Amino acid sequence: MTPLAFEQRYQEEWQELERLLDTLPTPAWRRAAADRPVPAVRLAALYRRACGHLALARARSYPADLIDRLDRLTARGHQIIYHRHEVGLRPLARIFTRDFPSAVRANAGYVAVAAAVFAVPALVLGLLVYWRSDLILSVVGSDQTARFEEMYSASAASIGRSRDARTDWMMFGFYIRNNIGISFQCFAAGLFFGLGSIFFLAFNGAFGGALAGYLTERGLAGTFWPFVATHSSFEVTAIVLSGAAGLKIGHALIAPRRATRRQALVRATRDSAPIIYGITAMLVVAAAIEAFWSSSRWVWPSVKFVAAAGCWTAVILYFVRQGRYRETGRAD
Amino acid sequence: MRPAGLNPRLYAFLLDWVVRLAVIYGVAVVAEFLGGLGTAVWLILIFLLEWFYPVAFELLPSGATPGKRVFGLKVVMDNGLPVTVAASVTRNLLRFADFLPFMYGFAIVTMLTRRDCKRLGDVAAATLVVHDSRATGRPPLQDVAPLPPVRPLTPSTQAALVALAVRAPRLTAERLDELAAMAAAVSNDAGRSGRDVTLRVLGVGHWILGRRP
Repeated sequence: MTPLAFEQRYQEEWQELERLLDTLPTPAWRRAAADRPVPAVRLAALYRRACGHLALARARSYPADLIDRLDRLTARGHQIIYHRHEVGLRPLARIFTRDFPSAVRANAGYVAVAAAVFAVPALVLGLLVYWRSDLILSVVGSDQTARFEEMYSASAASIGRSRDARTDWMMFGFYIRNNIGISFQCFAAGLFFGLGSIFFLAFNGAFGGALAGYLTERGLAGTFWPFVATHSSFEVTAIVLSGAAGLKIGHALIAPRRATRRQALVRATRDSAPIIYGITAMLVVAAAIEAFWSSSRWVWPSVKFVAAAGCWTAVILYFVRQGRYRETGRAD
Repeated sequence: MRPAGLNPRLYAFLLDWVVRLAVIYGVAVVAEFLGGLGTAVWLILIFLLEWFYPVAFELLPSGATPGKRVFGLKVVMDNGLPVTVAASVTRNLLRFADFLPFMYGFAIVTMLTRRDCKRLGDVAAATLVVHDSRATGRPPLQDVAPLPPVRPLTPSTQAALVALAVRAPRLTAERLDELAAMAAAVSNDAGRSGRDVTLRVLGVGHWILGRRP
């Protein structure tokens, strides 16, 4: 069959498919809202035939513009027919009621390793600095040490911030940008066979531990510990979880099991997506607590400790219990 | 769908970068008057632009940031479907790894070494940046008398003659003569060239396309 005869013969089918695709609005939600019956059987049949025609046109080296036309036509059909509709309130809610905690449980091993990589340097440096406080200078410079001391001194107007920070709102913005950024880095650096995640976890652990040890040794425990106790339940957990997600993709690269490295990487990345959504939300909560609650002078330390205990219990219970019933299909 | 190479992606990135910078500076001017709350909004905006500017635009039906749209690019999944939320988020968070060791070093190396021109984030998220091809259309064929070939032609020769016949209106007369001279054997004109030879070679092309006298 000659190219012109081929075009002549199937022209009408392609035009019909084009018209059908034109009547379907592209965003899925608008299509659902239109509530018009879609001639699905006809659409699928025309699409399948157009795919066949594209294969024929390619195999027979028909003119480039004809192949191009069929290529665009089938690509459009493909996008509309196989598009998964995943945006909406219900999938969003499901992330927090099920997907996030169950992804964390499914990767409990990575979470444990990440927690250890974070906690061991924190404890070691914390104790070392508490024992010999000048060791803090091996972690941060002397001017920064002085600023930390000023931030947590008993006379500071609000705890945990430098003098030039004017309001709670400003600090909220700062914590969002800084902390979520750190967390995303912990995850992304896992792409280097997990080494980057280990580095960022250990570094942040060491830094926090050294700071805690130093301030406790300088007699500022009374302001420092009530400050960090509450929001750390969300913040430290979220950083450890993002590191765990990073370790997961790193491990997939080192030991891909019965898949190619690329397949293993793609699967590990897709599986860690709910964890990424979850930690983002957790860090927004942490930033709000840190900016408006932790730093306040008018709340008694004892009240803060009670709130902290509540938050830690809630976070741990959430990851242990939430979504279990839906996971297994029965209560356990 | 053709994967997009380093150059158009770099231009698109630079354009997006300028857009983001302009927004950040614009909001900074306004935020200055709002005190602490303004600074908060500004810092959160920087955070959102840093990490989620590409996500927001990739999830729109066009599947492209403004920069990508200007240079005719779009982001799709490996299998040609629109990019999913999870894939868009992960490919853009992993941008941080692509950025290392400095100035997108790993991204440039992986893009230059891979046939599909993916950066690390694209590999992990199973996404692809492609040229968003627009309709090219066929210019009307020239009025040439169709001519049967003088001998049986191989499929690749047929394809070349068809391509030449379709492209002829876009070529200059001199270039067309040059190209036609190479295929002159199909109309028993081997070794000759000129306007008449060209018309005969095109005539054979039109014959294969399916036109008959």
